[in-house]
Amino acid sequence: MMRKALLIFRLAFMERTAYRVNFMLQVAGGILSILIVVFLWLAVYRSSGRSELGGYTLAEMITYLLGAGLINSFLLTTAENPETSQAIQDGTLSNLLLQPFNPYWVWLLRDLAGKLFLGVIGLAGYAIVAFLLREELVLAPDPLRLVFFGAALTVAVLLQFLTFESLSLLAFWVENTSGFRFTMRVIMEVAGGAIIPLSFFPALVQKIFALLPFPYLVYFPMRIYLNKIELAEVLPDLIRAAVWAAGLAGLNAVLWKRGLRRYTAMGD
Amino acid sequence: MQRYLRLFMLLCKIGLMRQMAYRPHFFLMISGKVIRMLLLLLFFQAVFLKVDRLGQWTFDQVLLLFATFHLVDYIMSITFQRNLSYHLPALIQSGNLDSRITLPIHPLFMASLENIDMMDFISFIPCLGLLGYALHRLNYAFTWVQALMYGLLIVNALAFLFAIVLIIATVSFWTTQSAGLARVFDDLTRVGRYPLDIFESFWKFFFIYILPLALISQVPSQALLGALSPGLLLYALAATGLLLFIALRFWSMGLKTYTSTSS
Repeated sequence: MMRKALLIFRLAFMERTAYRVNFMLQVAGGILSILIVVFLWLAVYRSSGRSELGGYTLAEMITYLLGAGLINSFLLTTAENPETSQAIQDGTLSNLLLQPFNPYWVWLLRDLAGKLFLGVIGLAGYAIVAFLLREELVLAPDPLRLVFFGAALTVAVLLQFLTFESLSLLAFWVENTSGFRFTMRVIMEVAGGAIIPLSFFPALVQKIFALLPFPYLVYFPMRIYLNKIELAEVLPDLIRAAVWAAGLAGLNAVLWKRGLRRYTAMGD
Repeated sequence: MQRYLRLFMLLCKIGLMRQMAYRPHFFLMISGKVIRMLLLLLFFQAVFLKVDRLGQWTFDQVLLLFATFHLVDYIMSITFQRNLSYHLPALIQSGNLDSRITLPIHPLFMASLENIDMMDFISFIPCLGLLGYALHRLNYAFTWVQALMYGLLIVNALAFLFAIVLIIATVSFWTTQSAGLARVFDDLTRVGRYPLDIFESFWKFFFIYILPLALISQVPSQALLGALSPGLLLYALAATGLLLFIALRFWSMGLKTYTSTSS
């Protein structure tokens, strides 16, 4: 079982590397966008004449932007789980169902492989930017925080997959799910804190965002890294994120089971 | 000319029919796009909760810049952007360009306008509302001449973008793909969303004179605000004219090398 899983993971990873140039260019584009945003914030701090805005010093802000950009590059940018929805729509799911491995796990593994690939490339790209801005960065906090940071990222990866997968599974019922997924991605990017720390938003907006699982994707890990959350509060929040993930996993299970019953293997 | 106009209307109709095939999807995509714009606006608002000016620019002026950028960006994506950036390379690769260049119309017309994006056309309407709101907040404090210049410079911005997109797309006559390059350019044009005052002097110079992304929204906005120097106006028009000339020459060169091979 484990060997099969590893094989699926490896194949998906290799598939990704086949289109290297395109991904490199995509990363280059991502770096450009992040540099533009860094310039913007340098100007904002300059014109404000203050050393701290929204509770963030300039160095913390730049670290946040780079960290959020890196997380964004493998968590949100290209991962909308289109495969599930496509397989259901065009009937290729039938083939997958005949194989001795549950398609749902295949999709999860392929998603993880995609994220790993994008993460590696993203890391290479951001390493360059981080080197250029090395004077302005907040470096690694104590090891315990790094461990929690890693744990939060792991939950974020699952949370992100499960959110999009529940939309993708709707393909059993509706013809086209890309509209749902696109809208979700747009909201997720902002409400997750990938653009700026959520503390910059008006209080009401912050309250609304806090009701959603998205702040656990980027804002929460970055707050752990940047010392913006007490260590004692990290664990309860981590549990809350895990509860969200478990809830979504339950929803996925129901959708998958009910959907399969409806599935008619329509295709061309 | 009239024939082309009729043809354009027909392409719009076909585009609408194609994209409305999945109706819920159509409206979801539109609401997604509108939400994205509103959230970006929220982002600017968040910035201006902390400062009252970005360089020389007030919030109302940044609003105008933002609306102008999206106005130009939408017109581009409704019409030529995806056709040239993604559709044309695919046609070249598959050899399907044959059926387009044998039509009794200018090949560039078909290459740049075949798929009209009606989804973006509908998302474009709230963007006009945003522009109206920005003008309202600025108390309509501009003269007719300034408004006219604004319109002219928006056309100029579109011509400038058309030239660059065409140059990138034409590369695919030799390489059969340029989608990656087109994407980098997409990311780069976002510079136009922000006032160039955010850049240090070198980069400001760079984005005004070397790679004049300032033409997209900064120059038209400045014209409306009455803050554009005659020199920059002339430069904007001349740069676009020159680039357009180069792009069209490059396109004809590319078309000549087209061999209609398919895989």
